[in-house]
Amino acid sequence: MKPEIKFTVSEFVEVCNQSLEYAFTGIIIEGEVASFKINQGKWVFFDLKDADSSVNCFMPLDYLTVPITDGMKVQIRATAKLTRWGKFSLTVRNILPLGEGNIKKSFELLKKKLTDEGLFDSSKKRPLPQDLTKVGVISSTAAAGYIDFLKILSNRWGGLQISTINTQVQGLQAAEQIIQALERFNQQAKVEVIAILRGGGSADDLAVFNDEKLVRAIAASRIPVLTGIGHEIDESLADLAADVRASTPSNAAERLTPDRRAVALQLKSIPKRLSTRILEQVSLLRGQNQSRISDLGHELKHRFEQARERLQSQLKILNSLNPETILRQGYAIISSKASPGDSKAVTSFQTGDPIEITTLSQTITAEVKYVKQRSKTNF
Amino acid sequence: MSNNAQKPISKRLAELDVAIEWFYGEDFSLDQALDKYQAAVKLAQDIDQDLAKMQNQVEVIADFTKA
Repeated sequence: MKPEIKFTVSEFVEVCNQSLEYAFTGIIIEGEVASFKINQGKWVFFDLKDADSSVNCFMPLDYLTVPITDGMKVQIRATAKLTRWGKFSLTVRNILPLGEGNIKKSFELLKKKLTDEGLFDSSKKRPLPQDLTKVGVISSTAAAGYIDFLKILSNRWGGLQISTINTQVQGLQAAEQIIQALERFNQQAKVEVIAILRGGGSADDLAVFNDEKLVRAIAASRIPVLTGIGHEIDESLADLAADVRASTPSNAAERLTPDRRAVALQLKSIPKRLSTRILEQVSLLRGQNQSRISDLGHELKHRFEQARERLQSQLKILNSLNPETILRQGYAIISSKASPGDSKAVTSFQTGDPIEITTLSQTITAEVKYVKQRSKTNF
Repeated sequence: MSNNAQKPISKRLAELDVAIEWFYGEDFSLDQALDKYQAAVKLAQDIDQDLAKMQNQVEVIADFTKA
């Protein structure tokens, strides 16, 4: 028979707590919430019950990261404690709603609250950086979604340095781990984008991505965040807070990089594309040259026509000044016989001067019989 | 490996874009076209080869599941 042990009340409570701590290093319990209340804006109290039993629960309000209401089925992570007043309670570290209906209700309540705060404003969204070289990934390294992401990323592009932080992506501790990973990447500031990845799962599995603290941490990240969580139809508050939402981890890989096969096709098309362009330019320049030659021919012809017209005009003038033309009109030319070629002699004849008269058909030698001076104003 | 090959692919793709734009710009001249063509095609072939060889480096830098 074991010896009896004598305690003071305080010692007994202390021993009980040590025993509870030793026996239950971590307790996860599922149950329905009842009598939920928040005291002094700091402390949360509720009962967790099932059909036969009920246990008191307590938690700092700061730990409450999802909206909880009476009647919700939840999962909690807690430590058991006997208070100084002999009351047994669970100190809750994490709480998550369970079941699609409860998760949806909690999702909508928190979505409204955070939307009203402007946490999801599109003006806060940043585009993913171009020409990535360093990518931070937060995921479970054992998850199929993570493997898919790496595989597709590797198929699409190379030369990336991918730094991964392994975290749980479901369950009560997942949110805290993902928040720590976000903080680590932001503190180190070595990556250009952070991808949070998780493959498909049930609403319960994905509930962690509606954790208020996690959602706020994503929105506050200095490094742009890309989420690839669940399937196409799944939408979490983490997705709404992220800068870019990919529908799946595979889609996240597609959002991050170009496809090297598409780029290679473009590269292979370059010789043909450029040679076609050069031939187009050659054809264009030939056309321009032919046009210039044609223009030059027209210009030469025009100049020639102008010169010919001018020549004909000058010939006409010359013809009108031809003495033969004057003789044909019935005039005669009188010149001095004594001083042939002297133009002055023609204008000052004296009586008796020998002269020569030229008509159209004759040359007449004659003598001046009489000279009378004419007034110049007669013409 | 040439200096050009050591540049990131993204930078060389940007250089290739500039090289191709020349053929569609006002600076285009037939006198330079052949040299420019050969340089652009060489750059495209180099990028294509390196593109096929490029691999990603993956490192798990922390494991918070064990905390």
